Amino acid sequence: MKSVLKKTLFGSVLATSILFLGACGGDGASEDANAGNDPAADYPSGPITVVVPAGAGGDTDLNTRIMAKYLEKELDTNIVVSNVTGSGGATGTQTVLDAKPDGQTVLAFHNSMLLNNVFGLTDYTYDEFKMAGVGVLDQSNTFLTSPDSKFQDIPSLIEYAKANPGEVTMATEIGSMTYIQTLQFQEQTGVEFNIVDIGGAADKIAALLGGRVDIVPTSLGLVSGYIESGDMVPLGVMAEERLEGAPDVPTFKEEGVDIVIDKIFYWGFDPETPDAYVEKFSNAMENVVTNEEYQQEIEDSWLSPTFLDQEATNAKLEEINASYQEAYDNSEQ
Amino acid sequence: MFDMLFAGFGSVMTLQIIMLIAAGVALGLVFGSIPGLTATMAVAICLPITYGMDPIAGMSLLMGLYIGGVSGGLIPAILLKLPGTPSSIATTFDGYPMAQNGEAGKAFNYAIVSSFLGGLLSIIVLIMIAPPLGRVALQFGPFEFFAIVIFSLTLIASLSGDSLPKGIMAGLLGISFAMVGAAPIDAFPRFTYGFTDMNAGFNLLPVLIGLFALSEIFISAEKKVKKGLNAKLSKVNYKVSIKEYIAQGWNFLRSSLIGLGIGILPGIGGGTSNIIAYVAAKSSSKKPEEFGKGNPAGVVASESSNNAAVGGALVPLISLGIPGDTVTAMLLGGLVLHGLQPGPLLMQNSGDVVYGIFAALLIANVFMILFLFMGMKGFIRLLSIPQHILYPIILALCVVGAFGVNNRLFDVGALLFFGVLGYLMIKFGFPLTPLVLGFILGPLLETNLRRGLMLSQGDFMPFLTSPIAAAFLLVAAASVVFAIYSNHKKKKGTSVLNV
Repeated sequence: MKSVLKKTLFGSVLATSILFLGACGGDGASEDANAGNDPAADYPSGPITVVVPAGAGGDTDLNTRIMAKYLEKELDTNIVVSNVTGSGGATGTQTVLDAKPDGQTVLAFHNSMLLNNVFGLTDYTYDEFKMAGVGVLDQSNTFLTSPDSKFQDIPSLIEYAKANPGEVTMATEIGSMTYIQTLQFQEQTGVEFNIVDIGGAADKIAALLGGRVDIVPTSLGLVSGYIESGDMVPLGVMAEERLEGAPDVPTFKEEGVDIVIDKIFYWGFDPETPDAYVEKFSNAMENVVTNEEYQQEIEDSWLSPTFLDQEATNAKLEEINASYQEAYDNSEQ
Repeated sequence: MFDMLFAGFGSVMTLQIIMLIAAGVALGLVFGSIPGLTATMAVAICLPITYGMDPIAGMSLLMGLYIGGVSGGLIPAILLKLPGTPSSIATTFDGYPMAQNGEAGKAFNYAIVSSFLGGLLSIIVLIMIAPPLGRVALQFGPFEFFAIVIFSLTLIASLSGDSLPKGIMAGLLGISFAMVGAAPIDAFPRFTYGFTDMNAGFNLLPVLIGLFALSEIFISAEKKVKKGLNAKLSKVNYKVSIKEYIAQGWNFLRSSLIGLGIGILPGIGGGTSNIIAYVAAKSSSKKPEEFGKGNPAGVVASESSNNAAVGGALVPLISLGIPGDTVTAMLLGGLVLHGLQPGPLLMQNSGDVVYGIFAALLIANVFMILFLFMGMKGFIRLLSIPQHILYPIILALCVVGAFGVNNRLFDVGALLFFGVLGYLMIKFGFPLTPLVLGFILGPLLETNLRRGLMLSQGDFMPFLTSPIAAAFLLVAAASVVFAIYSNHKKKKGTSVLNV
């Protein structure tokens, strides 16, 4: 009986210690920083928690984990990625705002936070955070259709949709990036889609393969296998220039639709966090992005390893926010 | 294909990978058996560890965790009436009464063998016919899912115990709790009363362990301290004869197929399949009145279906790159992370990894049955731990688990709330399972109804004209009429039907 007790105890200790694995270790990380008047010498003072307001295994999660892996070396501390899902990311972003502003909790997220504010779901947006920077851009936003669809390029899609308003079914997730892209497309071209909510990336793939929808807006990187197999056809990418990995796919701009959308994956702190800490973190991110190993890992998933510093991140976010606000305002009229 | 499978075995038959699978199964069993820790968490925690491994090694570890995590739930379900995971809710219905009757050993035997065979059957199906089955899953859109959910909700009638009205009330309560927080589709916050913490709604795990585990602890706190079940232990009977197994053959097959089918459909998952299989076993039994009192058929149904759902959930993942439940959603991330491109070409481009995964699943299934049989006598002795020592430990684990879901203290508060609610419901004779079923299915119902109406531009007809949807709705209507009829009969005292 004693041994059983031991076993149970062992099991529970094992489980709890794994759960709190991140809580131990990483002490004394700051010792090697230059002593003296460096205001960030004592940063980081322990393991850093990265809050990802998206589920484990998605693109946000993967990008964050890749960056975190390299940041651990740069900052010489443990970095724990914590997935806090719910309300389209609002739960996770709120967690960071609620945490102590000591630089030990950081948010890693993307454009959705701006959308939550534009659609009135949250009363704060990017300017509520002190941005450290951006390490990845996703420029592969695309419209996909099936190989037997009536339209195989953007002009024929516009022509058909104009002739048959409300007939082309567009699969999005209401309030997400793909939704606002659809609104922007409608606004620019004057067409009218039947916009339906289908769910996340996987649900959209299933809906297109199952023939329930006509167009699926998503990221090329998420569907390259289906394009290769011929199950899906990309109509274009919403990038400034054609992508290196997909030279045959035209940009929306080439086809006469001026939509350029970058999904940017930024890292931000609570506004009260000392500037010196955020700066140190930002510099560490820059070092990671110049690392060739990191670049390779990011490029493997059709993304662009690009560093934006604090200022550039804010400018980019402001620009994206303005375009979202405009698209939303237009759709409300 | 067999040479591919052979090559798959070749690639996982290294000491390192076998050890990883064994460790995965063991850790998965621990996570599955502790109320509050689940297979999803085990995979989430170990996913980053696999970064540094080669793809086959990494995926093998995750498969071990998946199989172990789904199987471990049977231990506390039988011994303590606590479902370790949502997949083993129905195991408590008959497994616990069996243990109370001094048949814990037998219950384990049935549960472990059913888990093994259910898992094996589904893995074989996965290996043999994943691509065509995956294509079938694609035929299920919002209309079809809506109909299936409606049908599943009618099962509440069979799970209501003595009072159908109380069961329906519990089910509606579950649906109401599921409505708290951001609404599906438009994410508008509902019933949050201005608390930002409520925006994310209630998570299934705190609801489940609050209702089942916490309430059970509260109830037992009322009674005088029991010094364990030492006396009965000496009489524990482990043996199940071959004849007894064969008698469960048809039940096993039906339950496994139910598990497999529900596993294949993206988004419903093992939490529902065990309940549906249980109800199917009960309503097709000649002696339904024995269910809930320690009928081995109930254990077999629940445990074979939840393990069969594992292979089922992997079907759309492997053949189409579409995850069927929360664990497979993370496995999808794992594949991407290892540079594999999930989708229709996965089998073609990375066949070595896919068949390595198949081999790992088969090996993990064997480790699962080995570990469980090895540990069985030890688990049963858990019953001899005095409750005043055991229950505080479980309580602590429940709190840790609830917190671990989303790293939020709010979920711990929710756990306590649902614990008290469960306690009150038991006191006033309300069944708990309909509440959980309503909670799981409510959001699916609403989401698919709204998505369907968007697709049809407001037209209800496609819900009836889709052949699959129409069939499920018809069965649902029939079972409601039947339930009302038999409930009426029962009240009159002419209990002929005994459903």
